[in-house]
Amino acid sequence: MAKSAEMPLIVTRDLRKVFRSAKRSPGALGALRGLFSPVYEDRIAVAGVSMEIERGELVGYIGPNGAGKSTTIKMLTGILVPSAGEIEVAGIVPHRKRRENARNIGVVFGQRTQLYWDLPLIDSFELLRAIYGIPTPHYRRSLDAFVELLEMGDFLRTPVRQLSLGQRMRADFAAAMLHEPPILYLDEPTIGLDVVAKEAIRTFVERINREQATTVILTTHDLADVERLCRRIVLIDHGRIIFDGPIERIKDEYGRERRLVVRFTEPTSAPAIPGARLEESDGMTARFVFDRATQRADRLVREVSERYSVEDIAIEEPELEGIIRHIYTQGYAGEGRSA
Amino acid sequence: MTVFAPYIEYARKAFAREATYRIELLAEVGSVVLRVYLLRSLWTALYAHNIAPTGLPLHAMITYATVAMLMSLVLEVDGTRVIREKLREGGIALDLMKPIVVPFAYFSDGVGQTMVHALAILPSLLFSLLLVHIDVPSATTLAAFVLSFALGYGVNFFVNFLMNGVAFWTLETFGLQLIVRWISDLLSGQILPLAFFPGWFGRAVFALPFAAIYSTPLLIYIGIIPPQQWATALVVQAAWLVATAGASFLLWRAAARHVVVQGG
Repeated sequence: MAKSAEMPLIVTRDLRKVFRSAKRSPGALGALRGLFSPVYEDRIAVAGVSMEIERGELVGYIGPNGAGKSTTIKMLTGILVPSAGEIEVAGIVPHRKRRENARNIGVVFGQRTQLYWDLPLIDSFELLRAIYGIPTPHYRRSLDAFVELLEMGDFLRTPVRQLSLGQRMRADFAAAMLHEPPILYLDEPTIGLDVVAKEAIRTFVERINREQATTVILTTHDLADVERLCRRIVLIDHGRIIFDGPIERIKDEYGRERRLVVRFTEPTSAPAIPGARLEESDGMTARFVFDRATQRADRLVREVSERYSVEDIAIEEPELEGIIRHIYTQGYAGEGRSA
Repeated sequence: MTVFAPYIEYARKAFAREATYRIELLAEVGSVVLRVYLLRSLWTALYAHNIAPTGLPLHAMITYATVAMLMSLVLEVDGTRVIREKLREGGIALDLMKPIVVPFAYFSDGVGQTMVHALAILPSLLFSLLLVHIDVPSATTLAAFVLSFALGYGVNFFVNFLMNGVAFWTLETFGLQLIVRWISDLLSGQILPLAFFPGWFGRAVFALPFAAIYSTPLLIYIGIIPPQQWATALVVQAAWLVATAGASFLLWRAAARHVVVQGG
């Protein structure tokens, strides 16, 4: 079958990865026994992940620690062989053609750097030019663009070890994108950064996604990154996809609880409104919880202003963070189970 | 040539990286010169009170010890140390995500590092000549020595590669490394000529790969291996080079499988 242009850029079908390790029995005798008749223990890291990602998408790939996120990314980059299932990235099976696949991808790890610690930053870029065989005019253009976009002019000739974390992360982004790969994998790219540096990184990701149609898979625990950048999230837990869809949908399905915050003009003890539960109150301010599906906010507002002397009323929308926390601890019960 | 371009660049960057430690390089020259002087004193004293082994007069012994010291400037550079460091810090995954043959990149990196330390050879030699007299062989002997040295460099690289490669399974190899280094220093002929070892042991050490690192080039230099035996000596070294390179290749393949199946 000929590969059509409409085929998704990244496809996985029932992708699995099982790690096998020798189980150790306690004590010296156990260690000895393990040497002769080892007992193996299988740990299922990825238990059947199927997804399709189109060119130009910006997907948040999230889940709790140990959910199988990095194992999936390692399989997508071709450095880990799947135990079962199919995988194709830009028409290539990554682990069969690791080096060919490497030309199509850029990778940024927030906790690691690919830059040469002891050398001026520019040296790392020169090495990458040689590795990817980027033609000189191309390299110049691309480097100039990144220097401007990421404001690297001041530290291009500074040894990497002297850079601040924010500068280093910007440099790592330029390093990952120098060969203009169609796909970018980001693993915790804003970890440890201050708000300004975070914003610079987010703006950059947004921009390359929009202007170069770079497909981005963002793995992170910082849901503010996801909320700001991604239209779609894939939520994984225990090696399985438990949600795949637009952020709005998970909010609709899960964020049914709204909060009504009321500030009174005079101390009010034990305020109550029918249809809402009092969550907390300190006499001057009360916080009610209500279900958006069964209660209308305007009715509750009217109700509370009729009963009490009210100075201010606010309605709090649920944040992605709270929803995800709820799913991690309670499990997912929505319908958007399949991709 | 574009196929080699990344690896040439790896060597150049390793050179630049290693060259940032200038003080260390100066200290290296000083340390070598000091040790050359101490070795001359030691061997002179030993020769004055003991019977010298046949065919190895004092001036040949001092030449041997001095040239061995200069060779160690290059041979003690462990270019494959990066493997161990990258495994511990997880950097190896980043290298595997690049369109390169990773062991070639590490070899090139090792060559780049070695070149920096090779720069210390000439000043070390000049300063040493102020303290000791060393024999200078004929141009053809020097050429044979250089060829033999190059083969020894290769064997040394792969012995180190094998040692550091164990880190794929154990992560920590420092203890093993120390032991192998001691054995290697002793059995390679770096500390003293292998002819000093008695009986069967003396014959056995010549059959080990370590002898290919220091002993063979040095014995060519001081003339213990005469021109008619050069070919044999070089072939034996080349055989060790092929054997250690082959073992390294197998180890890398097993290690790569371990990484791709077990995730490191």
